[in-house]
Amino acid sequence: MTDEMIRAEGVSMRFCRGLETGGTLKQAFIDALSPARRAARRQHSDFWALRGVDFTVRRGEVLGLIGPNGTGKSTLLKLIAGVLKPTEGRIALGGTVCPMIELGTGFDLDLTARENIYLNGAILGYSRDFLARRFDEIVAFSELEDFLDAPLRGFSSGMTARLAFSIATVVEPEILIVDEILSVGDLAFQAKSEARMLRLIGGGTTVLYVSHALSSIRRLCHRVLWLEGGRVRAIGEADEICEKYEHAAQESVMNNE
Amino acid sequence: MSVTARLGALSARYAFLLQQLVLRDFKVKYKRSVLGVGWSLLYPLLTTAILSLVFSNVFRFSTPGVSYVAYLLTGLVFYNYFSEGSNLAMSSILANGSLIGKVYVPKAVFPLSKCLSSGINFLLSLLPLYLVLLVTGTGLCWQHIYLPWAVGCLFLFTLGVGLLLAAAAVFLRDIVYLYGVVLTLWMYLTPIMYDVSIISSPLLRAAIALNPLAQYIGFARTVLLLHRTPEAGQFALCALSAIGTLLVGLHIFRCNQDKFYYYM
Repeated sequence: MTDEMIRAEGVSMRFCRGLETGGTLKQAFIDALSPARRAARRQHSDFWALRGVDFTVRRGEVLGLIGPNGTGKSTLLKLIAGVLKPTEGRIALGGTVCPMIELGTGFDLDLTARENIYLNGAILGYSRDFLARRFDEIVAFSELEDFLDAPLRGFSSGMTARLAFSIATVVEPEILIVDEILSVGDLAFQAKSEARMLRLIGGGTTVLYVSHALSSIRRLCHRVLWLEGGRVRAIGEADEICEKYEHAAQESVMNNE
Repeated sequence: MSVTARLGALSARYAFLLQQLVLRDFKVKYKRSVLGVGWSLLYPLLTTAILSLVFSNVFRFSTPGVSYVAYLLTGLVFYNYFSEGSNLAMSSILANGSLIGKVYVPKAVFPLSKCLSSGINFLLSLLPLYLVLLVTGTGLCWQHIYLPWAVGCLFLFTLGVGLLLAAAAVFLRDIVYLYGVVLTLWMYLTPIMYDVSIISSPLLRAAIALNPLAQYIGFARTVLLLHRTPEAGQFALCALSAIGTLLVGLHIFRCNQDKFYYYM
């Protein structure tokens, strides 16, 4: 079907906890001398971040992702952005993806704001023509006209975030991935950035939105996917799932007391 | 979209990214220095001045028939490119770890951009080299048209080594420190300051003959200092070692790039 923008089929993702800290010469020697121990270490440290996740998102739909910390929300976003490849299952996309996971990655502090717009735009996959055409718009939205030729080193964190948001949202991608970024800059800029998000959503962009703020999930999302322990706990209409989720969270707090 | 159209769009997209990364590396390098790019010209001249003072006066090295300063600088400019390019390429994946974890970009652009931005430095350092060729009376000749062959081979070889090391360093950080030692050894196994004729051990001679850097430098010296056309065997050997190393490096990099994320 053409209006299906994201289809995840039986997506599982396995991480090896021990590996991230490994990578020293000593460990390599031990592994080389004793393959059996290496295999045991591997098996012991295996950890499934996602297990058999299925869902589809239609064109223009806004899907919210909720769930406790460490249940695989960010992993799922990374799989869809193409940064990770699933251990099992497959993900099919019907259009271009623009990841807005952590703004400003790839900025160079020694370069000026102007140079960073081009560098960051290139990293996000914009073409030279596109950047040249939309340059003024990016600058105007970020309200940093007076600082264009100053190196980023001197920028406040709010200014940097404003620049990053303006670069990331100038494009109208077919699939937009948003990981808790609406709380950028001061109050006026927050209102402006939410308006821009809403405009993108209204313009037919498919959005995957992760947030712990259920109020903004309810306001922005059509449907919600509730992840727990790497599995889909529930998927459906936003208000209904949010209510269930709140209920479950309250219950677990009471059980703990 | 057809496959070729898609491939075309893809390479155009990443060509722009590559260009931006190369530009960044080059701009940032001298951003806070007064002389700026002037250092790319001055640095090889100053090191050559020191080395030629030490080796021709203290150790009494000489290269009969050709200027020792020109001989030294030719080797140095080639070796410096390899050392800088492969070192920066080695660290490029680790340095961009946070980026690799967040946005999809073909990971080979990082080592490639480092080899290219070092290449700008290399091209700039050809200016003092030509200056020395003129000042020392070595002069120019039409055989210089063969020089790009040696430069191209040097680039491909450096990129191959850089890709290999970049992938290896992700899994084993010790490589970064180990490589510093390897580079020192490699420098002495490359006839930069001395002529191969002073080596008496056949084993060492064989090691130097198999050293690709020695091949490229030898090729460049044949052209620049002796004003001769290199032999067909020299052309072939240079290309073989360069393309072979690149293929090995590329293969190892591609086989492992999906695993980088877990080791960052």
